[in-house]
Amino acid sequence: MLELNTAETVIDHGLSLGADFAEVFVERSLTSAVNTLSSQVQAVESGIDFGIGLRLVFGAKVLYGYTNKTAADELKRIMIELAAKDQRDPRLGLVAFDFSSPEERHPATRTLSLDADVESKVAYLLASDSAARAASNLISQTRGMCRQKEQHVEIFNSEGCHTRDVRNYVRATLTAIAADGQEQATGMWSDGGLLGWEIREHVDPKKTGDEAARQAVVNLGAKACPSGRMPVVIGNGFGGVIFHEACGHLLETTSVAKKASVFHDKMGEMIANEAVSAVDDGTMVNEWGSINIDDEGMETQRTQLIKEGRLTSFLVDRMGAEQTGFDRTGSGRRESYKYAPASRMRNTFIEPGDADFDDMIGSIDRGIFAAQMGGGSVQPGTGEFNFAVTEGYYVEDGKIQYPVKAATLISTGPAVLKEISMVGRDFSLACGMCGSVSGAVPTSVGQATLKVDDILVGGQG
Amino acid sequence: MLARDEADQILTRVREAGAEGDLIIDQGQALSLKAKDGELEEHKVTSSQVFGLRVIKDGRVGTAYSEAADPESLQALVQQALQNASYAAVEPNEKILPNTAQLKTDDALLCPDDTASIDAKIDLALEIEARLASKPKVKNVPYNGVQDGLGERQLFSTAGLSALSRSRSTACFAYALLEEGENNAMEGLGQVSRQFSELQASRLVDSVYQNALDMLAGKEIASGRYDVMFDAEMLPSLFQVFAMMFSGKSAKDGVNPMRDKIGSMIADPRLTLRDNPLATTGFGYALFDDEGTPTQNLNLIEEGQLTSLVHNSMTGSHFGLQSTGHGTRGPRSTLGVGLHQLELVGGDAEQTELTAGRTVLITDLTGMHSGANPISGEFSFGASGFLCEDGERVQAVRGITVAGNFYDMLSRIDLIGAEQHWNWERSALMPSIRFSDVSISG
Repeated sequence: MLELNTAETVIDHGLSLGADFAEVFVERSLTSAVNTLSSQVQAVESGIDFGIGLRLVFGAKVLYGYTNKTAADELKRIMIELAAKDQRDPRLGLVAFDFSSPEERHPATRTLSLDADVESKVAYLLASDSAARAASNLISQTRGMCRQKEQHVEIFNSEGCHTRDVRNYVRATLTAIAADGQEQATGMWSDGGLLGWEIREHVDPKKTGDEAARQAVVNLGAKACPSGRMPVVIGNGFGGVIFHEACGHLLETTSVAKKASVFHDKMGEMIANEAVSAVDDGTMVNEWGSINIDDEGMETQRTQLIKEGRLTSFLVDRMGAEQTGFDRTGSGRRESYKYAPASRMRNTFIEPGDADFDDMIGSIDRGIFAAQMGGGSVQPGTGEFNFAVTEGYYVEDGKIQYPVKAATLISTGPAVLKEISMVGRDFSLACGMCGSVSGAVPTSVGQATLKVDDILVGGQG
Repeated sequence: MLARDEADQILTRVREAGAEGDLIIDQGQALSLKAKDGELEEHKVTSSQVFGLRVIKDGRVGTAYSEAADPESLQALVQQALQNASYAAVEPNEKILPNTAQLKTDDALLCPDDTASIDAKIDLALEIEARLASKPKVKNVPYNGVQDGLGERQLFSTAGLSALSRSRSTACFAYALLEEGENNAMEGLGQVSRQFSELQASRLVDSVYQNALDMLAGKEIASGRYDVMFDAEMLPSLFQVFAMMFSGKSAKDGVNPMRDKIGSMIADPRLTLRDNPLATTGFGYALFDDEGTPTQNLNLIEEGQLTSLVHNSMTGSHFGLQSTGHGTRGPRSTLGVGLHQLELVGGDAEQTELTAGRTVLITDLTGMHSGANPISGEFSFGASGFLCEDGERVQAVRGITVAGNFYDMLSRIDLIGAEQHWNWERSALMPSIRFSDVSISG
């Protein structure tokens, strides 16, 4: 995507300005979106993202720029502008590029550059729409979406790194709306992964439609959620957003290096209940948050974050390693060439335990079963986080009683990790988009159903 | 910059294919500076461009975009858009407007000359961090920065429309993390202007520090139902989360719960809300929308009655109405609708009346992207703020949730303040509203 000698010239120029490290990140991505509404195609969109990100590091300072132009003179001009205040005598010479091709861990066959497969995607979404409408006559509307992206990246740096990778992302989602008089409620089901449209062989439009419709109808009949501190059982899959928000962000060196994480000085200490072991894993085949290499060219890995309650690793990118002294974990990620990389999560989850669902529910006098979760957010400095329950049930005397609506769970990371007392066996992962300093990156969250003994539930009841 | 001639070449290809269309060209330059421990931590300089084409052929709409500007990519742009259109259902209401206007925004107003040097901008970033970091109990200032940007949008259509809008913005922001014993608190704020010289480090530093200091001793309050006010930042955010209630596009799609309520009372009769794109002091100022339609000030709720939704030409046509000048389209997005800048008309309550008795003032809401359902109006957010007695802040409050139904709350207004305030992003102008009987969990 970029001539080798252009990359060499530009990086050499960066070093001649006195930089300790210089990097060129080239990206060309194809994108496609198929949208349906009201049982017909609403829009088909496509595009090309292209640009080059330039990073210079002077000590702890990062200089970053990007452009859509590939000429060496334009790239050098940006470097000169960036380094105008920091220019000094050269410290280092360029290490000759040593090209390495990463191991292809995540094969894809029906890729976007071969065929956008629009007819097949339309057929899938319309079949999902039909299934949702057939599941209940309360379904008044559906919105379907298939997004696919083929991201080509090429990375060069002053330490001799030269590598390329192709990431194929696909995601299909159906949202159903149930209506009864003036009342409306929604349900949603989504599948996705780091692969091509061959995902179609593994997804069932009937299940997609049924599940979206089921959630919408349950929520339509939901009562106000009780509020206050109580035990909560959190469902598997996207329920793992609790760990993502409560702990994952606080283990990124982006926060740790600034001492803006409550866990920055807790390495080796017990930070969670001993029932909790947690992992961030980029190697899981074709999973949504997986990668072959990170956006700094390092091979991905499986990183044990917490083992039986004890903090064992942070998520470390190149700058994070420089600033904290911990080894890199292949966690430098970015949304696109428009962002400098930062330490970010991949597939992040609490490992399964051996608790029974019935025992978890049976142990609750008054609490909530949060079957489906929405998104959330965290303030790393204080560890305060929130996340939304999108399908919840009131539990009393050890039994699920009735559906509840519109609840938020809030706590702090250190507090909630110590309140996870039971972890089940029904582990699964779910797709999400995680927003942070280096943009929105695909990440999976995951867990088996688990019980939090005490957390604040915000409802209207 | 892509010349009009080159845009004409793309649109000529569209015409030759028997279609009509419009082309958006966005270009931008931006600077971002961040400081850490008295040194510049990040210095980012960027330039970007993207081309977005919409074509309509035989009543079918297709879009495509490209950040690559080479001839092959721009040729592919036309082909992709036409191919995408071939899959779409016929949309009889979406048309390229027969608009031949030559429009241009006022550079003197939106794009004043920036004479500030890069050194001055770096100095401001360092000053903000250093002044905050030097204050008692401040552990660090993890998020801070100075940003400066110039954005330009050109819009051309096969009908002959040419519209250029250009604007500059400069901003600074900071978040300070304070610690005292076992307590900690992080608060942040920003400032925005079209002139760098109007940014005031001292005002930003003092506000951020005071907010975080006040919040250090924050604790939960007893669960219950309280009279609640949202501050000048949070009230506009709340309206923005539920902005779909005014969307003509969502009404056309059958998901806007207000779609059949034009002319009905949906709020307290003292509430009047309008979209005010022609107020030049706001950053949502717009002379024309993304279809090139002139904007207008528009009452959305008038004395409690829903008077209008916002429309582009397609949604307007669907309902037998004109566009209200609220069409939105980016290079990467299809035609939609959006609000420019909301103004909530001031009421008659003075400050002492507004804050009489016990109230909870909400100064921060978390989880607004995930904890709200605009279709039902239900919400549940994490919150912090202050418990007040007769306007005096008697206790900082954090670790609580606030929940309710926004559409119901519009009818449970106790008082509307007389004085209006801009939020810091200058996107909305609103007075304080005192809502009664709001559920808080602590």
